[in-house]
Formats: sequence, C-alpha cells, structure tokens
Amino acid sequence: MPPVIDKEKCNGCGICDLHCPLDVIYFDEKANLPVIKYPDECWHCGSCRLDCPTGAINIRFGPEMLFL
Amino acid sequence: MSQRIENFGELIETDVLIVGGGLAGNNAAIGAAEKGVKVLIVDKGSIERCGAIAGGVDHFMAYLNTDAWDTREAYLEWVGKIARGAVNLSVQNAVFCRELNSAIERMERIGCTLKQPDGTYYRTSSLGQPGPYFINFNGKNLKPLLAREARRLNVRALEKFSFSGLLTEDGKVIGGVGFNIRSGKFYIIKAKATILATGNTNRIFENPSGLPFNTWQCPANTGAAQTMAFEVGAKLANMEFVRITVVPRGFSAAGLNALTGMGGKIINAVGEEFMFRYHPSGSKAPRYKLVEGVMREIYEGRGPVYVDCRHLSESELNHLKKTLGYDKDTLPDFIEQKGIDLGKDLLEIMASEGMQGGPSEVCSSGIMIDEKTASTIPGLFAAGDCADQMRCVHICTTGGYLSGKMAAEYAIALNVEAKINLSQIKQLKDKTFSPLRASGDVSQRKFEDTMRKMLWQNAGPCRNERSLNVALEKLEELERYFKEIKAQNYHELMRVLETYQILQVAKMMCTASLARKETRFGVYHYRTDYPETKEDFEGQIILWKTDQGIKTEFKRLDYNRIPEP
Repeated sequence: MPPVIDKEKCNGCGICDLHCPLDVIYFDEKANLPVIKYPDECWHCGSCRLDCPTGAINIRFGPEMLFL
Repeated sequence: MSQRIENFGELIETDVLIVGGGLAGNNAAIGAAEKGVKVLIVDKGSIERCGAIAGGVDHFMAYLNTDAWDTREAYLEWVGKIARGAVNLSVQNAVFCRELNSAIERMERIGCTLKQPDGTYYRTSSLGQPGPYFINFNGKNLKPLLAREARRLNVRALEKFSFSGLLTEDGKVIGGVGFNIRSGKFYIIKAKATILATGNTNRIFENPSGLPFNTWQCPANTGAAQTMAFEVGAKLANMEFVRITVVPRGFSAAGLNALTGMGGKIINAVGEEFMFRYHPSGSKAPRYKLVEGVMREIYEGRGPVYVDCRHLSESELNHLKKTLGYDKDTLPDFIEQKGIDLGKDLLEIMASEGMQGGPSEVCSSGIMIDEKTASTIPGLFAAGDCADQMRCVHICTTGGYLSGKMAAEYAIALNVEAKINLSQIKQLKDKTFSPLRASGDVSQRKFEDTMRKMLWQNAGPCRNERSLNVALEKLEELERYFKEIKAQNYHELMRVLETYQILQVAKMMCTASLARKETRFGVYHYRTDYPETKEDFEGQIILWKTDQGIKTEFKRLDYNRIPEP
C-alpha cells in the first residue's frame, strides 16, 4: 500500500510513472491520473514523492510492515 | 539470406554502452562522455531515479589526510583487514584511491557537496572502521544531479528498457539487445565497448517480511550483469557470499550506519548492549558481526532486539532524524507511522533478507575486474556492485567514473568495425520473448518464492557440502519448470527474465561456496562443516562457464604489501 495519490493535487505530469524504478506506477492518459499498477512491487524508495511537483503523493505503510 | 538487422528491431550504434543507470552507471557515463565519445545508458527505470540509491543516500567513505588513520595507507590497511580473502588491494588502489580526489571535486561541481551547510565535513565511524571514514551528507538528489550532468554531456538514455543479452564476435563483446518494457519494441545496440553496471542480486533468499520486494538493496537488481557476463565466458569472483544486514523490523531499509554511527546502542530484551559479547567495538562492530549478534540473540531467546537512541542529545537526534531520511527517504515515515519517537522509544530491529553480494563495504561480487575495470572478455567492462572490486557509494562513484574513462579509451583505440551476426540476434530475440509464448501455468511469483525458501534453507547463512549439493540439484529441477512460466505482458516478461537471472546466480553461488571449504566473514560464508577461517583461503574463488558446467579456481591474494600510489 505504498504511494497514495491525492487526485485533487495531481497535475497529471506523469513524472511519478517516469521516475518509478520498479515500473509500479502507470500513467492513465484517459483519466489523466497515475495508477499504482503493481503495488506489491513497490520498494518504498520515495522517488515518486520526492519528484512530484505538487506534493500529491503520500507514502502509507500497511499493517504487514508496521506490525510484523 | 536477405534479412536485415532492421527486420529484427531498431539498430542503435554507440561507442560506449552502459547497462544500468544507477550510481556507478551514471558516473561511468560522465567519465566516458568527458572523453568525447558517444554514450548510451539503458535502464529498467529512469537514470534520474533508479538503482540502489534511487531515493537518496547519506554516506560516502573517504580518507581526508587529517590524521594517522585518515591516510591512503591506513585506509588500505583497514580494507585488507576487513575484506581479507575477497578484496584485491591493487585494484582497490586503482578504482578508489587514485580517483578519490576527482570524485569529491566532481560531486562539488555538479551540486551535491559532501560538506555540511557550514562548510565542514560531518564524519562518523561505524562498521569496524579505525576512525570516522563515513562522511555524512545530503545525497537525496545525488542521482538526479548526476543524470543532469550526464544529459548535459549528451549521454543518451533508453529508459524503461530491459537489457536481455550481450552480442559477441570472435570472443569480443560488441553490444547487446533488449526491449522497452511498455511497448515491447526490440533494440539491437552495437557498441565498441560495453560496461555492465546492474548491481548485486536481490530476491534470491526468503524475505523475513514475506514481501519479496521489501529489500535492503534495489529489488530490480537481480544479477543481470553476472548472468550475461557468465554466459559470454567472463570470469566472476566472490560469488559464494551471502550478504545480510540489520534493519528496522518490518521494513528492510538502509540507515543502520547512521543509527550506530550517531551513537545508537543495540540492546536485547533485558537492555544489555550485547554486541560487546561478539566484538570489542560493540554496536560499531563490522556488519557481519552485527548480523550474527542480532540473529543469535533472537534465536537464543534474548530478543526482541532494539536500537536505543534515547541517550542522544537533542542536536544529535535532530541530525539523525534528518540523515535517516537522506539514506532512505521513507524511513522517517515508517518510524512515525509506527508511532515511535527515537528520543523516547526503542526501535525494534531484525536481520534483513539475504542477498548475493560482496562480504564488506569495500568489495562486491560478480565480474572480476582488473585495474582498468576490464573483465576477462575484450570489450566488456564492469562497474558498481556487479564488479568484484567495487561497492558502496564511494567506490561506485570513483570506480564507475574510471570504468567510463577506460571503456572510452578502449573504444577510441579500436580500429576494426564489428560485424553483427543475424542468427545471433534471432537467437537472443527468441530467448528474450519466449516467456510470452510459454504455454505452461507455473506462476513466476510462486516459482521465485519456492526458489527463495529452498535457497535460504540450503544455501543461506548455514551451509555445508550436502546442503549446497541439494540446493544445486533442486535448482536444476526448478530450471526445467522455468520454461513453463508465462508472461502476460512486457512488465511481466521483465520479471520472468529477472527470475532466470536469480536462478543462474544461485547456481554460481552454490558452486563457488562448495569450493571455499572454510568459514569467512561469519554468517556471510558460514560452512557448518568447515567452521574455521583458514589462511589457505586468503584469496578469491574465481568461476567461469565451460562446456562441462561451472569451473572454479582459487586465486591467492597478497595482503603483505600496500600498493604504491
């Protein structure tokens, strides 16, 4: 449950898709929004959040990691 | 035959091809481009954010000539001590010491200074160092800054690109092939020199969190370079080692050397700073000792194990909180979402998943390189964690750059035009795309999970001759099922090819481990049937491919002499 996109803040630039090193985020042209297509393959590196120009990405850790 | 290369895919010609756009790959690109040659980098991600330090890094090891421990000689002496039996001092001298000053200058120049805002170096000591060799710095944007410099020098990048095989001609490497992981478009790259820089091998052992991508190093690094170099006949070294580290429980994040370097104490369930029972440096012991200590305390019932930072001053805590986020961008979020305040609470830690990598911070495992970063195959160079003598931020920076320069010089000196063999392209293309055509119903994830569990059981931190042979037999059996794994799209195809690479690295690891009939670096090579460290094994196990399978050979290394500057 890694990156969470705030649809209100997202400007549709697609940089999160471009910079995700694990090919987890896919930019959906029709919806003009990024989609977390392979959440199980997220490395939690934070690249998407670091490079998001509008601060639209939050990182949320799931219980499987927080309470192991 | 009237078929042309263009019928198979797009042909690109370059002087230097770099596979992997991480820290070493980007530095290599800059080193090569500064020589005025044409450079192409390919990566599964983008060169701005990919590889082990995608989201940042906070430490760079260096000697700065301020004191007796802070010299080239003292550093190399320490290197020869902590990595004895895996490290080659002459190569270290070439890939690190000779390049250190220009690397520090380059980082300054591209806008990623190693200094604090007040102009001083903030240095910490951990992992068995004789003095504070780690320079703490804000490397959150190191990757994008390097990428910007590479692009400024007209380096071309093919991103979201899975590199799938090397092209050869008369025993020389002349480029390679790969595809775009979104469109599936196939490319043939003709290169005068090729540098492999794809990191170590992750996802190879069972992950204690149950989440295979929750790894300390980048989970996209799966031994591509090691596999491809092996296939074209290159020699590899240090492949027997398992690498494990200590991480916050639940999140396999970097940050250990910041925690212990800043003075965090590792304690057990009764509050004892138990590491002093394992090593005189206590919580600042070498990494393999920390791992052994943490594993034993938990296994023997004295866990949970924690890092205790409650005694640190407010300014130390503030620095620590900042630097943890430099090393792993999301670690402060994890700590916060767990409801932990490092000034008041303990942070529970555990041993991480195992990976195949070098046994220390100064040398890795993979393609055996010489002082010019060349492999044993003409035209093929290696940089970063996939080269046997590079590792960590400092050597990937210095050695990466050197490999770029050396590959460029090789390319410039080359006076024969390589000829691409069409049947070789056809063969590589068929092999690359074969999982898309597979008819079986074996799931890639389940296949990898089984392999990981089996390897942790038989070839993890406890191994012996029987268990290693069992692992090798099971890997052979598993490989027969590999062709039944079906990929539904190009993203899955990339993952299936990674599974194949992990399997190949596992075979090399087990074979090399059988040849090292001793224990070295504690849990990093613990042979239960040979529990002693032997002077006879102060050197590397070298391996390469033959028609009869993997051949190994022992090469003794000299630790009695510090090489000349």
